[in-house]
Amino acid sequence: MQSQSIIITSLNTVLTTELTSINQYFLHARMYKNWGFNKLNDQCYKKSIKDMKQADAIIERVLFLEGLPNLQRLGALSIGEKTEEMLQCDTKFQLAQIEQMKQAIVVCEQEKDFVTRQLLVEILDYEEEHLDWLETQEYQIEQMGLEKYLQAQL
Amino acid sequence: MFVCICNGITDKDIQEVVRNEGAGSVRELKKHLAVGKDCGSCVKAAQRIIDNTIIDETLFQNVG
Repeated sequence: MQSQSIIITSLNTVLTTELTSINQYFLHARMYKNWGFNKLNDQCYKKSIKDMKQADAIIERVLFLEGLPNLQRLGALSIGEKTEEMLQCDTKFQLAQIEQMKQAIVVCEQEKDFVTRQLLVEILDYEEEHLDWLETQEYQIEQMGLEKYLQAQL
Repeated sequence: MFVCICNGITDKDIQEVVRNEGAGSVRELKKHLAVGKDCGSCVKAAQRIIDNTIIDETLFQNVG
């Protein structure tokens, strides 16, 4: 199906973020695993795999619209050194991604591409949920102190 | 956090070089650290850290 190139461009920017997200969460997951924080590892690993599935859906949509999905471009990873910093890096990343998704949804709305819009809304829903999870962790660290929080993640 | 993933350089490493060696630009930073020598995607972030560290230092000196 032929479509406006503006939709393909905005889908490609969303794809770049997804591809960056896959790598960032995968590295964070395995860093947690290396330190024995299995619960954090599980959560980040799942997020990374989910991002892969979301990237797949975007790639298929771009191809369906007769565009070329850009799998070459990758954003800068923000990798923390310690658990707290890693969660902060992820929060910053999520906030930027959610803002970008909203802009892409506005573009779809203006171009009346409601199917792409629905796809992006589903992804946005998941990203917001993950941001909420990150905020919960920051709240728990604040309330329990870092040592007790980390003990609960073994 | 890690600024340069290629060579595992952190923001603290950069801040240390700025404070101790007086590096004021990415070019000067490159003499001490392998920042921006591989893929180059960290150059912008490195420059921002240099700028922020210099600002922090100046404020500190003003107070002192």
